[in-house]
Amino acid sequence: MFRFIAADLRRHWAGVLAITLIIALATALGVIVTLQERALRLGSARAADAFDLVIGAPGSETQLVLSSVFLQAAPLPLLPGTVLAGLVADPRVKWAAPVGFGDFIEGSPIVGTTQALIDGLSGLSEGASFARLGDAVVGANVAMRLGDEFHPQHGQAQDYGGVHKEITYHIVGRMSPTGTPWDRAVLVPIETVWQVHEHGAEAGHDMPVAVRSIVGAPEAEHHGPDLDAPIDPNAVSAADAPGLPAIVVKPRTIADAYKLRQAYRGDHSLAVFPGEVLTRLYGTLGDARFILSAVAMGAQALVGAAILLVVTVHIMQRRRQIGALRAFGAPRATIFAIVWTEAFAIIGAGLLAGFGIGYVAARALSGILTQASGVVLPVGFVPHDFILLAGLLAVSGAVASVPALLAYRQSPASALRA
Amino acid sequence: MPALAIRDLEVRFPGLERPALAIPRLDLASGERVVLTGPSGSGKTTLLNILTGLERTGAGSVVWHDVDVAQLSEGSRDKWRAANVGLVMQEFHLFPGLSAFENVLLPQRLAHFRLPTGTKDEAARLLARVGISNTKQSIETMSRGQMQRVAVARALVARPGIIVADEPTASLDQEAGAAVAELLVELTLEAHATLIVASHDARLIDRLGRVLRLDAGRLKG
Repeated sequence: MFRFIAADLRRHWAGVLAITLIIALATALGVIVTLQERALRLGSARAADAFDLVIGAPGSETQLVLSSVFLQAAPLPLLPGTVLAGLVADPRVKWAAPVGFGDFIEGSPIVGTTQALIDGLSGLSEGASFARLGDAVVGANVAMRLGDEFHPQHGQAQDYGGVHKEITYHIVGRMSPTGTPWDRAVLVPIETVWQVHEHGAEAGHDMPVAVRSIVGAPEAEHHGPDLDAPIDPNAVSAADAPGLPAIVVKPRTIADAYKLRQAYRGDHSLAVFPGEVLTRLYGTLGDARFILSAVAMGAQALVGAAILLVVTVHIMQRRRQIGALRAFGAPRATIFAIVWTEAFAIIGAGLLAGFGIGYVAARALSGILTQASGVVLPVGFVPHDFILLAGLLAVSGAVASVPALLAYRQSPASALRA
Repeated sequence: MPALAIRDLEVRFPGLERPALAIPRLDLASGERVVLTGPSGSGKTTLLNILTGLERTGAGSVVWHDVDVAQLSEGSRDKWRAANVGLVMQEFHLFPGLSAFENVLLPQRLAHFRLPTGTKDEAARLLARVGISNTKQSIETMSRGQMQRVAVARALVARPGIIVADEPTASLDQEAGAAVAELLVELTLEAHATLIVASHDARLIDRLGRVLRLDAGRLKG
């Protein structure tokens, strides 16, 4: 029987291949939507893992998370410098580190921060941490080597508004990979960022919303800061410390986290759990996924119906052959089994191939997105997917029995006469 | 060896006043070889279908040996046919994509979970007997005469007691038809099977002892 089925499928290989491919692509559509949405969710959640609590000036919570966790450049209002000093001294805080955006280098954001964040994120994989104001630590995926020097650029490479010639950073270390946009960041001492943009800050004193938190500060034409000076760990807790767009806080306990969030949620500051903000975003994402899934399922249903039609027409065309099989003594059950097996083999192969294609496509898509955003998007199946696959196979089995029944019920004599 | 006894057979088709087939009595001895002739529409194929259990009998009995095919269910008729009848048809109904050898074996493979022992040897022997030397040759690359000879081998491979052929030579040229007619008669004789051939082929009519003439569903002579 299987020999016959194999010969039959081989003989109609072009049609079999076409139908299998159509089923596979329709399946892949749905698989990609599911996998990609999950990858986005997992990837962004993992990226936010190291960021328990983020504190910024009052404004958009979402923007605060996107800027601090995903390093998405956007003008953020500034927090008074004293907030960080307060946090560092707070016993509920394990560590707190500033996130100050300062210029770019070849598309990589330069982030002013402190040792605490480097340790808190992933630590170093090579070299040493910054010790002088002119030292820089690069993220795992930054295409520069230890020992390289660079001038920070205003804005991103494609539209940069000038180079801070007076500043030369010296790369002294590299971070371990984190799978987050921070892998593409260049970390420098926050003090240096402050000093580079000091004049801008003075010029626009008491700006309510300091656009300069990005790099909007006017060109620093004055003599540059002394980059050989050692980092002063107390600078960040100084009373006259400049403003900061965001502070990453690692609370000691979960209870502390909630207390801190409560304490810094007010008129002067905003405290958010990135995870919570992301969950809200996922809600929106989930709605989008639902719509996409519905569209994909609609496409699959249409493909299913079209293929059922094709198979049925095909069976009708082969009435004589099936009639002949019966006439030569093949039992009806065998006829049913042959047609069912052929239909199920095609649909099943299509489904499996679809899962494979969907997986590969989602991987490729994730790769592109990772390249663009730095967020590593883990593509993977969960047990539920296999239950779904089993369910789909069961439905295919039921669907395959339609043409099989058709063949089963056919009278051999009338089929031969046709 | 099964012998045939038809009693009061009547087949009617809806919308037709006269029965399509009415045979009050027909007996065939075991091993008898007959030709069934008659104009088209005279009921030859209907009779063959009923004799082979492909079609349901309206009324009457069709007893092969001691099995009344008319009483069997569809599944039982399939089973009975697979065990007792070898079929040769005008359109060979061989299956493309399979070799000559696999075509001969196909009905047995489909009818049995496991190929009965000796079937392969028998298939090889019969293919040699009908003059197919390259048994691995794919069936669609064969000439029509070769195809019908493979079909003859297929009809005989399970050693059925009854061989039924429907216009086996009608779609073949003179030479190929003669070869097939010859083989059909000889092999049936060798197998001691009962042979019923619907044909207008003079070679077959001459070679077989008895001629049944059907006209409008009735047997003449």
